[in-house]
Amino acid sequence: MILSVASGKGGTGKTTVAVNLALSVGFCQFMDYDVEAPNAAFFLKPDIKHIQKVEMKHPYFLKEVCNACGKCAEFCNFNAVAVAGDEVIFFPELCHGCGGCLLVCPEGAVREKDVEIGKIKKGFSKPGINFYMGDLKPGYMRTISVQAALDKFIEKDILIIIDCPPGTSCPMVFSVKDSDYCILVTEPTPYGLNDLLISIEVLKDMGIPYGVIINRDGIGNDEVENYCRKNNIKILLKIPNDMEVAKYYSRGESMLDYDISWKGKFENILKEIKKDVRK
Amino acid sequence: MKVGISSTGTSLESNVDMRFGRCPYFIIYDTESNDFEHIENQSRQAMGGAGIQAAQMIIDKKVGVVITGNVGPNAHRVLGSANIKIYSGITGTVKDAIEKLKKDEFKETAGPDVPSHFGTG
Amino acid sequence: MKQITIISGKGGTGKTTIASNFIKLARDHIAVDSDVDAANLHILLDPKIKETKDFIGGAVAEVSDECTNCGECENLCRFEAISNSSSDIKIDPIRCEGCGVCEYVCPVDAIKLESNNQGYYYTSESSFCTLVHAKLNPGAENSGLLVTRVRNVAEDIANNQNKKAIIIDGAPGIGCPVISSLNGVDYAMIVTEPTLSGIGDFIKVFEVTKFFNIKTFACVNKYDINLNNTEKIYDFCLKNDIELIGKIPYDDKVSICLSNRKFIIDEPSSEAGKEIKKIWEKVKEYLYPN
Repeated sequence: MILSVASGKGGTGKTTVAVNLALSVGFCQFMDYDVEAPNAAFFLKPDIKHIQKVEMKHPYFLKEVCNACGKCAEFCNFNAVAVAGDEVIFFPELCHGCGGCLLVCPEGAVREKDVEIGKIKKGFSKPGINFYMGDLKPGYMRTISVQAALDKFIEKDILIIIDCPPGTSCPMVFSVKDSDYCILVTEPTPYGLNDLLISIEVLKDMGIPYGVIINRDGIGNDEVENYCRKNNIKILLKIPNDMEVAKYYSRGESMLDYDISWKGKFENILKEIKKDVRK
Repeated sequence: MKVGISSTGTSLESNVDMRFGRCPYFIIYDTESNDFEHIENQSRQAMGGAGIQAAQMIIDKKVGVVITGNVGPNAHRVLGSANIKIYSGITGTVKDAIEKLKKDEFKETAGPDVPSHFGTG
Repeated sequence: MKQITIISGKGGTGKTTIASNFIKLARDHIAVDSDVDAANLHILLDPKIKETKDFIGGAVAEVSDECTNCGECENLCRFEAISNSSSDIKIDPIRCEGCGVCEYVCPVDAIKLESNNQGYYYTSESSFCTLVHAKLNPGAENSGLLVTRVRNVAEDIANNQNKKAIIIDGAPGIGCPVISSLNGVDYAMIVTEPTLSGIGDFIKVFEVTKFFNIKTFACVNKYDINLNNTEKIYDFCLKNDIELIGKIPYDDKVSICLSNRKFIIDEPSSEAGKEIKKIWEKVKEYLYPN
């Protein structure tokens, strides 16, 4: 089963829920798909055994062969190539690595080389968690490419927990696309509710069953809870606002470290979810 | 000689726009015939490389001189490779700028005015 | 005219709360919400929408009936966006980057790049200033492109009305929308929190502002939940020439105020509100240099 943990608004506690769920279940595969800001490793403290580069292709241009015809610049939809005077100018940061310039060059003046855009790190966390994370290199807008590299490591016949990026645009959609169930973590404030509604729209569109966890319960108002009750959305858990929990979090410690009774609560969530999964 | 000016509007009374790649219009002015046309700047809609695309358009229009507010390094590089003169940091109306150019009151810009946007400009 | 973008790396550190209060304190300015897929700035500013525009996103490939299923496009697509498992070619719009290689190689011209509506952007009036904001369709792509549109509108208005400042509420992460929100701004303010995740993401997002050569300020929110970590953030700022512009204590009143749709700076007993005012005084010096 693939279980993803998402939220529209950032910082509502996705990683907290994903990590504590993994620690409570004990045996699973954990995937950090928040490749722009991967944080689960702070809590799971995996023993990273293997680091693999994620690469893309960049073109380079053979000066002696190129006759500055301009076809490559004309083709490039990303403005990564310009032709000025008798010179091709390449802007690597804009390149998507599609290979179009190589394809259209009539002179065969384009070659390609590999460029690193991020890393996949693999390791093991206690008690029995196979840990994977993607880590995007700052400055590269290649979020989906790093996530796509993570996709290749998803195993079969084991519980997969995916820690998603915030938001509701392509990186979030890409992370939840194969999920059998999605947990939406929110907080009881107008921001939390606003972003929860957008996330629900995305999941409905994709046909993914979902339930809600309200984190920092007690800080704001009861709009989120009322909304869920009115619309028959399952509230899987409420995590009360607690300064002590926040302090544990700040040090990279789990909720189970703070109070072991959370283990049972998270195990129960999983039982609850199994009733509603897609497959 | 043709002059390309980044402009906030379509007439000579418009102001010089401070953005090269993302200005709404370019005024292309011919200093010999004193004719001009305006071009809507399509490249401002680009997510990345607006300056590069605008520079490419300026080259295709056979412009010899660019007058603008700020030029980023990417656009500067492309314009420079095509031997186009750049006068930046210019404010006021397009008309005034052309007058000053004719009287040779500008100093050519040696390098980019704004730090690298890493090409997303 | 000066522009500042408020970012964080990690989500939920308090970007929008700080941005909203800055916007109330500022003058001669335009506000921009560049967190287009989870926009929240409108909640406190409560603006009236004056103008709505269609957002036509970047192009993605679409395949027509003329397709002969030759597989040429699938072979050349670098993004695994084309699959041929069933009897016809399918293009996955999430993976498609709109490069146009498939369109170019198709021998029967069955593929075209098409742009579709992916959301809306708005020019609105609040009691404090004009707000330019957007709503990306749920699950849509091109959030970075939409940020560019929104910022173009804000800059045009600022140019025409001679405004002195643009205050931009950023998105979490370090991806497309963040990079688009930083492009060409004068200042970036990173709001972080003294947690391991907060610090990790602070360092990553700082890599981005450094990359762009943008003068960067840092502000530590809820600094008192872990003083050791706050110390670490201080050290990092010192070593990297980041101006530490303030630290805000944890304050229950922040969420309560928000739930009542009130500004924390208007709550006289709030320590966080007082601190945000102090930070604004410093930011103001940069945004209004004369």
